[in-house]
Amino acid sequence: MLPGGGWPLGAITEVLVDGYGIGELGLLMPALEALTKEDPARPKKWVAWIAPPFVPYAPALQQHGVNIDRLLMIHPTSEGTRAGMPAVEQCREQLPRDARGRAIASGKSRLWAIEQAIRSGSSAGVLAWVAAADDVILRRLQLAAEEQGCWVVLFRPASARLLRSPAALRIHLPQAQAATRVEILKCWGGRPGVVDVAGFALDGAQVSSR
Amino acid sequence: MARQSQSLELFAPSTAEAPPVASRPAPSKLQLWIAVCLPSLAFECLGAGDSSLPAVVVEAERGQLHVVAANRVAVEAGVASGTKLETAMALAASLQVFERAPPFERKSLESLAEWAQTLTSAVSVEAPESLLLEVAGSLKLFGSLDAIKSKLREELGRRYRDFRFCAAPTATAALWLARAASADVREWRQLAGSLAELPLTVTRWPPEVRALLNDLGLRTVGDCARLPRDGFARRVGRSYLLELDRAFGRRVDLRAEFKAPQAWSSVAELGEESVDGAIFIEAAEQLLYELCAELNRRQAEIAELELAFLHLHRPPTVERFDLRESTLDRDRLLHLIEDRLERSALPVPAVALRMKSGVFRPLERNNADLFEAKPFAERAQALLERLQGRFGGAAVYGLRAVAEHRPEKAWAKSLECDGRPARAEAPAQEARPLWLLQKPVAIEPRQEALELISGPERIESGWWDEQDVARDYYTAKNGRGQRLWVFRDHRTRCWFLHGLFG
Repeated sequence: MLPGGGWPLGAITEVLVDGYGIGELGLLMPALEALTKEDPARPKKWVAWIAPPFVPYAPALQQHGVNIDRLLMIHPTSEGTRAGMPAVEQCREQLPRDARGRAIASGKSRLWAIEQAIRSGSSAGVLAWVAAADDVILRRLQLAAEEQGCWVVLFRPASARLLRSPAALRIHLPQAQAATRVEILKCWGGRPGVVDVAGFALDGAQVSSR
Repeated sequence: MARQSQSLELFAPSTAEAPPVASRPAPSKLQLWIAVCLPSLAFECLGAGDSSLPAVVVEAERGQLHVVAANRVAVEAGVASGTKLETAMALAASLQVFERAPPFERKSLESLAEWAQTLTSAVSVEAPESLLLEVAGSLKLFGSLDAIKSKLREELGRRYRDFRFCAAPTATAALWLARAASADVREWRQLAGSLAELPLTVTRWPPEVRALLNDLGLRTVGDCARLPRDGFARRVGRSYLLELDRAFGRRVDLRAEFKAPQAWSSVAELGEESVDGAIFIEAAEQLLYELCAELNRRQAEIAELELAFLHLHRPPTVERFDLRESTLDRDRLLHLIEDRLERSALPVPAVALRMKSGVFRPLERNNADLFEAKPFAERAQALLERLQGRFGGAAVYGLRAVAEHRPEKAWAKSLECDGRPARAEAPAQEARPLWLLQKPVAIEPRQEALELISGPERIESGWWDEQDVARDYYTAKNGRGQRLWVFRDHRTRCWFLHGLFG
């Protein structure tokens, strides 16, 4: 399906989804399993999850063979909690809040966190849920990912498919009835097309370098 | 002369006021002290006193400003230590006046004391301008007293213009001899003779005591030592007799050992009030430069750092940084500060930045993984620090599986994020969704057009902590192609959405 038989490392993969729970994470599981596997020959690195929309469920991840010790959850907030800063506290009051009462992250905080996670050189992979991201920032992330050899997956709403993006791979998961359908919109060194993936069996998805 | 003073003591009647003479220390316990005197420290620590104009350092005493130190030009004009400022101004035209800064003097002395610890471990600071080094134990290491002295001279020459030092078998004697710029005394038998010639000013006894002794016709230390002990103790004071005893080595002379401070603090003035982040960063960078130089020199690292913005007419705004792992890496500390400053707004402009380190910890380096794992572990820690610094400690965490039947309790946050393998838990047998909702959401199955694919899986548990659940879990599919994890509560017969098969 993909050139090299797997996800492109050291590049951005964009996953455009219309909703959650359509197997969008399941697609990544074999790669996550490979990236988090304990291997004495490789340095221990994180797979960072930035602003996941729900709780990544540890027992299910383990069922997929993922080593959850290597996962790092990051919930960017627009402003951290700061004591003795009335001005900032007031600002926070006006921000929209999520179910847990935290100020919802502005896109800027998320992108900052993504960039930090990539550039630190301590992340093997970065999964991030972002809504708005302009071309320039994505290009910067792409460069950082290339530099660090980091596997970066950005989940974006399907409406973003019309926007320009420097990502190496863009796939769209439309809502399908029988199987998880993967539309490849853009692929370096490959051809766009449509693939149906039944259930969670995505055998070809081994991690490989470009 | 020593014999003479001792023979006098033999005849002196022993009273409660005059403490008995302790026997001289055995030769094996011989000490050799070097006293360093910095007569112009008050000037030099201010970076002043160099000019061709008369200059003085003044200090307020009983509501009046007195001269503490005067430079050469001022001394030639007749200004001396203790002169009132008005008098000094009358004596010397265009007099430059500096206010004394004891903290600077102390800092300068302490910095010298830290250096002196490379010569001997027994260093003590003798405020306000002297330093004492016990070097008998170092003679073997450096070969001779001259070798130690040449090292000392070199370093002192680098730091100060005006200094003198002198070696003697007792600390007090070394101090007095150094003040009088006398020659070294290496032998016990020369000590009493050398001390006896010293004028009484070297003792720094209070002016009224010196005036009294002067009235008695006593001009030198030797004159005092020749007096009967009980008479001296009664008329002058017991403490002065004890000091004489210490100088002559008749009494143990204990000195507080200098311990290098275990933390660091410094202030950077901004020049003017400011709210500009770039200026703060610049000041913080300068402070960090000093701090890390200090850490490097001391082979130490820190795990806490405090940055305070000093305001006018307002308590300072304090930012604390708790590092996950102690460090002496300047860039890492600077990044943390930059991140924090980026999203902070000061309530009012600041005039200065004060940086305070936490306790210095001895540098730990694990040689085994010096080349491979450590840099990665360090980088991983640095990433956590930056993220937690910006978003708060609770916003960054790892995952842990818990052996628990209730689905919402089968996972936990692991705030340590140390990446160490957690206890392996047997994963659940039944299929679990990759996404879990923080809290189950009530749903209406008919409205959602749910189609149950598999189930039920009965989960009944938790009766022991009164958060018991009795649920039938199903995998369901809705019209939008989402695979959902839903359950029906036994008691309420209501349906809930609990997860998504992402």
